[in-house]
Amino acid sequence: MQLPEPPKIAAVEVVPAQPTEADRAAIVHMGLKEPRAVYVVKVRLKAKPPVTSIAWALYVGDERISKYWEYKDGIYFVVFDAQFFAMHKGEQLRFSQNDTDFFDTGMELAPSSSVGEGNAIRLPLQADVLKRSKSLARRRTNRASARKRMSKR
Amino acid sequence: MTFAEETGELRSPGLPGIEGFDTLIYGSPPLAYPAVLSQYMIYNTPDPDYVTGRINVSAFANLGAATPWPFTNTDVPINGHICIPRGRGPFPLAVFAHGNHNPFENSTLGYLYLCQLLASHGIIAATIDVNFLNGANFGENDARAIVHLEHLKQFRSWNNTAVHPLHGKVDLNRILIVGHSRGGEAVGHASFFNRLAAIGPVVLDGSAGLGPYRFGLSAAAAIAPTDRQFVPATGPTVVPDSYFIIHGSKDSDVYTFEGYHTYERAHAVDLANPTVSDGKFKAMLWVHKANHNQFNSVWAPETPPGLAMPRPSQEQIARVHLGALALAVLLDRREYFAVLRDHSVATAWDPAGTELVSQYQNPQRIFIQHNQEGLAPPVVSLPVQGTVTADGVAAARQLTALVGGAPTTTITLRLAWNGAGTQLLLQVDPATLPAEHYKAIALRVGQSNEIANTANRDQDFTLEVSSGSRTAAFRASSLHRLLFPDPPPFGPAKIVMQTLRLPVARLVQCGVDPSDLRSIALLFDRRETGVVYTGDLQFTD
Repeated sequence: MQLPEPPKIAAVEVVPAQPTEADRAAIVHMGLKEPRAVYVVKVRLKAKPPVTSIAWALYVGDERISKYWEYKDGIYFVVFDAQFFAMHKGEQLRFSQNDTDFFDTGMELAPSSSVGEGNAIRLPLQADVLKRSKSLARRRTNRASARKRMSKR
Repeated sequence: MTFAEETGELRSPGLPGIEGFDTLIYGSPPLAYPAVLSQYMIYNTPDPDYVTGRINVSAFANLGAATPWPFTNTDVPINGHICIPRGRGPFPLAVFAHGNHNPFENSTLGYLYLCQLLASHGIIAATIDVNFLNGANFGENDARAIVHLEHLKQFRSWNNTAVHPLHGKVDLNRILIVGHSRGGEAVGHASFFNRLAAIGPVVLDGSAGLGPYRFGLSAAAAIAPTDRQFVPATGPTVVPDSYFIIHGSKDSDVYTFEGYHTYERAHAVDLANPTVSDGKFKAMLWVHKANHNQFNSVWAPETPPGLAMPRPSQEQIARVHLGALALAVLLDRREYFAVLRDHSVATAWDPAGTELVSQYQNPQRIFIQHNQEGLAPPVVSLPVQGTVTADGVAAARQLTALVGGAPTTTITLRLAWNGAGTQLLLQVDPATLPAEHYKAIALRVGQSNEIANTANRDQDFTLEVSSGSRTAAFRASSLHRLLFPDPPPFGPAKIVMQTLRLPVARLVQCGVDPSDLRSIALLFDRRETGVVYTGDLQFTD
């Protein structure tokens, strides 16, 4: 038997969307300003990994994404604060199963501008964002390197 | 103590009891599952007395958007199967939860074989539907814990409802929660959440639908669990209730034995108050040749044919050891703690030839050496006073991840020797060690797969205990086998320490006075070379 291989990322897309009620409560609890938008980061995978209990934790640089979820073409997570993208500018998405061995994906987060007050009401629901086609995702991809690298922290 | 003395008239806890029971489905209709989720349609027609409500887990989890669930995360169902003993009760309660698996296959039924066993012994046993959290998701194990606790709340509600068939039948002070895989990680979180008034912005007082909990949890049991996929804001979860873990050496899903870290964090020594115990026990069973999926009777094995033990054997081990736990903690059959203290008590009940490694820590204990003071050379741990001398043996404390995988925070002592007759000698001041108040010396020790150890050969040494002029010597192998690590399916081999328990009564029989105990030595005289790791040395009950 072989060690599991990390997922391969085809594209990353960042889409502003309306916060859910649960998002609003969490954001207020975190002491952030009442949100106008949250950002759905869709990570399209070349192939989904088998469903197992052990998991590939997803990192942006050294920050572990605490929760992510499955959608049709891959996985996604939700960012509450646009500052996240500035903080992690140029950092790679990485996978790890043990917080020790890291697999660089060769992909970075696409930059995202914050959403102003005026256009917030036109933002899509997160559920609708997840149903969108993948063509847009290709345009928003930022490929740092085609070659996957493994690193140790 | 001999096997017969230890077990007395004990009967295998894996055998069915004498109680008749009924099996029912509970659920939250209407649930319009689409055809691809037809396995869940059974929850749309629950027993009429067992119709449940919905809960909102949106603060903790999204549902995988790739599975067409007929509900959202704001109204997930409380679905499950219950085996209810016939009779007046009240009966203790055991609730099982599955882990992550293909969400198009209903994982819930995979623990009915254990529910039926427990019900036949007079325990209400349920297995719950958490499938809506399954898929390529990550970090959702807090939600699994909340769902588990909400099922317990459902049982409390039925118990408190005058017209319900379960009215007055559930003993809410005797509850065992059991989880497999990510559900195994989640029972640790559930044990932690059970005592909280809020989790972040989510109040658990019932005002927003979740909680209150504060159940009387007798123990949390984890089958091949993950660890730290969800991490609370306060840091990795430390299980506050008594804790049991079982894991297989051929696990090819959670191949890193993550639950070892959960076990080490639970009921660890408090360096500021090393003699203070939280009153809880913990026990571990490491099963050579068991894989991950065969603990669930409906999951196909994840290992290729021939690598793992047969499914009936693995289910039998689950019956015997989880059965012993349940009988001990839920039915006050305290004699079954013997199985937790020493797995060899169950040898006649386990499949022939099964190789197991076990650990047990009793709440009543005093550490002679726990090694958590730091990475400096080993010492006798306070408040016991004494000295440690390594005579010809290389003794080094290490932050070694004995099971591979994630970094560890628990220090172990590595002992390496090259030439028979070397020893690690602990000399203690008898005035600081009330050994006579305890029933056994317990030493956690295990061999590695390093070259100094002969492959597939048990390691051995002599344990010498002295008081005044009397010394008693015991071969480690007379207390337990120290197995060579079973080769893993992939990744590094796991070094799993065995708890060796030497009864104080045997010392007394040999003329050693426990009230005047002067030294304990590990004398490496049985093998020319070797490497072992020790966790802690304690006097205990």
